[in-house]
Amino acid sequence: MRTGASIGRSLGPKLWDDFFKGSRLACARLITLVENFPESVPEIRDKLIPRQKGAIRVGITGPPGVGKSTVTAALARRAVKAGHTVGIIAVDPTSPFTGGAFLGDRVRMQSLIGDPHIFIRSMASRDGHGGLSPSTPYVADVFDAFGMDRIFIETVGVGQAELDVLTCADLIVLVLQPATGDIIQALKAGIIEAADLLLINKSDLSGTESLLESFRFLFEISARPKAIAAPPVLTASALHNKGLDEVYKEVEQLIHGHVESGRIREKKRLRLEGEMKSSVLQDLWGRFSALTNAPEEMRTAAEDLLKNGRSPYPFIRNLCARITMEIRDERTNRKDHG
Amino acid sequence: MADKKIKIIIAKPGLDGHDRGAKVVARALVEAGMEVVYLGLRQTPESIVNAALEEDADVVGLSILSGAHMTHFKRVKELMDKNGLGDRLLTGGGIIPTKDQDKLKELGVGKVFGPGDDLQAIVDYIRTWRGSGGA
Ligand SMILES: Nc1nc2c(ncn2[C@@H]2O[C@H](COP(=O)(O)OP(=O)(O)OP(=O)(O)O)[C@@H](O)[C@H]2O)c(=O)[nH]1
Ligand SMILES: [Mg+2]
Repeated sequence: MRTGASIGRSLGPKLWDDFFKGSRLACARLITLVENFPESVPEIRDKLIPRQKGAIRVGITGPPGVGKSTVTAALARRAVKAGHTVGIIAVDPTSPFTGGAFLGDRVRMQSLIGDPHIFIRSMASRDGHGGLSPSTPYVADVFDAFGMDRIFIETVGVGQAELDVLTCADLIVLVLQPATGDIIQALKAGIIEAADLLLINKSDLSGTESLLESFRFLFEISARPKAIAAPPVLTASALHNKGLDEVYKEVEQLIHGHVESGRIREKKRLRLEGEMKSSVLQDLWGRFSALTNAPEEMRTAAEDLLKNGRSPYPFIRNLCARITMEIRDERTNRKDHG
Repeated sequence: MADKKIKIIIAKPGLDGHDRGAKVVARALVEAGMEVVYLGLRQTPESIVNAALEEDADVVGLSILSGAHMTHFKRVKELMDKNGLGDRLLTGGGIIPTKDQDKLKELGVGKVFGPGDDLQAIVDYIRTWRGSGGA
């Protein structure tokens, strides 16, 4: 039987043994665990991280239907041909109304199925709001420790908010298509600034040239610091398998360049710092809330502030001061008892 | 531990026809809160089981209208067992005579549904399977 409990129990020495021996089923099960049981994530990552070899995580993002899955499949195929082992994480949206999800990205990845050097995993975005599921980075950790050295992460196509991918990928490919009118949409997303490579897919459709032209113009007027080069803009037709050798080559060149320059290492370090910060904050807040009735107080304060039209800063300052005091007290207590 | 969402593969093996029926069922399952990995048309038993394994799916659902249900179900079941997925539910739908349904049951295949069956019956069946201790 496959209940939550039985899956939990399956996290034993046998599963780890199988996983490190290269069992794909064990890999799949481990992914299920990190995806479904957040409380098991620290224990699992403790074991995974020492085994990781620093796989490069490539985020593939862009509006719905532009061809992210088709492009991902094309890049994965080329990566395998070049001798890499590839993990693909394909995220599709969870319905906010039913909690269910239709995960359809595999349909565009048919040609990869059965290749022993590729492992595809579909994920629902669940509670994630920026195009990924909260556990997506941990799934990448599983792939990395399993021996994959290229991990492609396809985000949900949500148009303007795929920024989660920034906190998860070493390199970002933004896929767009012509005939979407203009580049305003992409500009709003703010992701153009973050993209390492812009890919105009569906170059078989008309409008490609004018979209290219808009980008050229955009980068000319852009206020980017000179040190950061405008990202390369390429065109391709994934459906007709045109231009993808060039895209793959560019991706590998960028990876190579960013490894050499230390930029990828810097990104990995920043991600780790960010993770530590948010974990510490979460932990502190959890403990403070348990010690005091701060959440309750906040609620009362919020009602009060609203009613009287007051600014929240005095309350915030007061609460922060008390947090500092709690920490100090705890330290003194520990000294006294230990 | 919190209960995990049900993950189910929906595929159409063989070369026949369209996948309208499969899509309708997939949609009903999504509306019931499940996570459906949709594979679509022209799947081989190998590609289906490969997907089931990578996705660590709880359930595999096949839609077969071609009449080749015995071959497909049998082969998929064999491959599932061989790949360590023997504890997952294999179910599906199509136009399947009662005597074949019995044979499929003997092979370890779960209930199979016909065109006249209510979508809710499929949802309930999967939920019950999961809730009652599985296959
Ligand atoms: N004309 C044309 N169609 C393409 C091209 N690449 C992909 N498509 C089609 O575009 C549609 C969407 O492709 P997908 O790869 O699923 O796009 P996606 O961005 O992954 O979609 P979501 O994950 O749903 O956001 C499919 O019907 C593809 O066949 C292309 O180069 N030219
Ligand atoms: Mg897609």
